[in-house]
Amino acid sequence: MANTTMQVASPGTAWLVRVRSSFSVARRAPKIPAAVLLILLIFAGFGQWIAPHSPVAVDMANSFAPPVWHEEGSANNLLGTDKLGRDILSRLIRGARVSLSLSLFVIALGGGVGVALGLISGYAGGKVDAVMQRGIEVILAMPTILVALVFVFAVGRSFESVILILSPFLAARFARIVRGETLSVRERDFVAIAKVIGTPAWMILLRHILPNVFNTIIVLATLEVGHLILLESSLSFLGVGVPPPQPAWGLMVADGREFLTSAYWITLFPGLCILAAVLSLNLFGDWLRDTLDPRRRQL
Amino acid sequence: MFKYIGFRIFQALLGLWFIATLVFILSRSIGDPAEVFTARNSGVDAREIMAAKLGLDRPVHEQYLKFLGQLVRLDLGDSVSNGIPVTQILVERMPATLTLGLVALIFALALSLPLGVLGAVYRDSAIDWIAKVLAFLGQSMPPFWSGIMLIILFAVVWEMLPPAGKGGWQSYILPGFTLGWGVMAGMVRLVRSSMMDVLDSDYVAMARAKGLPEAVVIGKHALRNALLPVLTYSSLVLGAFMNGSVVVEQVFAWPGIGTSAVQSVVRRDFPVIQGVVIVFGSFFILINLFVDILYAVIDPRIKYTQ
Repeated sequence: MANTTMQVASPGTAWLVRVRSSFSVARRAPKIPAAVLLILLIFAGFGQWIAPHSPVAVDMANSFAPPVWHEEGSANNLLGTDKLGRDILSRLIRGARVSLSLSLFVIALGGGVGVALGLISGYAGGKVDAVMQRGIEVILAMPTILVALVFVFAVGRSFESVILILSPFLAARFARIVRGETLSVRERDFVAIAKVIGTPAWMILLRHILPNVFNTIIVLATLEVGHLILLESSLSFLGVGVPPPQPAWGLMVADGREFLTSAYWITLFPGLCILAAVLSLNLFGDWLRDTLDPRRRQL
Repeated sequence: MFKYIGFRIFQALLGLWFIATLVFILSRSIGDPAEVFTARNSGVDAREIMAAKLGLDRPVHEQYLKFLGQLVRLDLGDSVSNGIPVTQILVERMPATLTLGLVALIFALALSLPLGVLGAVYRDSAIDWIAKVLAFLGQSMPPFWSGIMLIILFAVVWEMLPPAGKGGWQSYILPGFTLGWGVMAGMVRLVRSSMMDVLDSDYVAMARAKGLPEAVVIGKHALRNALLPVLTYSSLVLGAFMNGSVVVEQVFAWPGIGTSAVQSVVRRDFPVIQGVVIVFGSFFILINLFVDILYAVIDPRIKYTQ
């Protein structure tokens, strides 16, 4: 007993206790979704060393090879090949990087801007808040996919243009929720005290309010990554997402549509990947919300 | 309340203006507008006529006012691929998109109401789990892929339903279900939680204490009160359908507005894209406006500070 108290009290080992307690929380995470997300992260990070083939290598002699469990299938292409003889499995692994990196960029850019706007809007109140909220409502009232369609049409199809057009929509969603949280944190005593001792506003926002809305931001980011993967794959499917030969999952589904009856595997597996990724993110995000932020059940 | 409604109308107009301006800026920034608004291999004459029509020799602010003026008169220009006025194309294609949205809404309600109610009444039972799984799948599946999988199952393997296109009532089932499944998820959760709130209320306890049969308690006393949030949610969902219909129409070759949007991107037919965005955007904004006004009229408890 005395031993544990000393451990907590001593600044040298306090981090150890914190790591242990966060570890014991993490052990209660839903196992299958966490495992799926881990696999996807590994694919995204180290895909080029794991994938059996290059995701873009064309091999016309080997086109439409079926997956390994078919009679004509071979272990060389575990999940078969597409119309150009490219290995489906390798393309799926590469696709994980496309989807995840794009979503993370949008989260970083749109989410960052949204958090900043939400903090300022909620803390400043008054006219600043009113103007910002009206702007956010206008953005939220626009049909995302159509606006993205026009934007990509105008500026050209690229990884960057998809990030640029999805970011404002994400920023609006973040700003709205962070603003709500900021409104309630702003009224707490420690903020009043910080104001009294003359702390500048930016310091109050960064040191006192941001840490208190951080859990909400983490939960929202997790759920929004899933939403972004769905949006990105829809855009890729419509032909305005990440340009080929980059193997985006949505694009792979679109590629396989002509060959549904003869080569179902081209369409089936990328869709399953999207489903697995988004489902895991939703389940994991729900768990995170219940753990970190039980007040916001309806997020 | 009237002040609030007036403010919301003003805000909706602001949104419409914003979309129109965005489209104008885009149309002027892609390249030479005379080329953007004419077919790709049209001659110098056609481009000069278009330049005169758009007023390209005038300063930008005059072009902009002219553009807004044409919008107000519902003149969206002509398609560059077949010369048909964009307004006419949109009017012809609107009914297909709207009926599809309606069918999807019916599917979503028909599934989520019983599942949500039974899930709330028999908590953690098999039916509650089925509802949860269906909801999570609907939320996590890309609609373009679930649509294709449904086509494989019901049209190719079992040959029960037509794979694509708009024909008899059977042709509405697959696209309607695909579109409805995505929003069903949120509805099941909403019905379940609002039903659970109502079941804990005093008037339901009272109805039970009176010795009413359980079916009457749930069907008459609880469900009616639980339905209000669901109804308001359904009207919001119509907006989400407009977004989803672009994808689902594409999968099922549905002759609606979404399909023409995607086709015109492929054909680089800017006037049509511009028209679709303006019409869809306006629709989206008007639905939101309608819902907010409905809220204000139905529920006088809500305090409107703005």
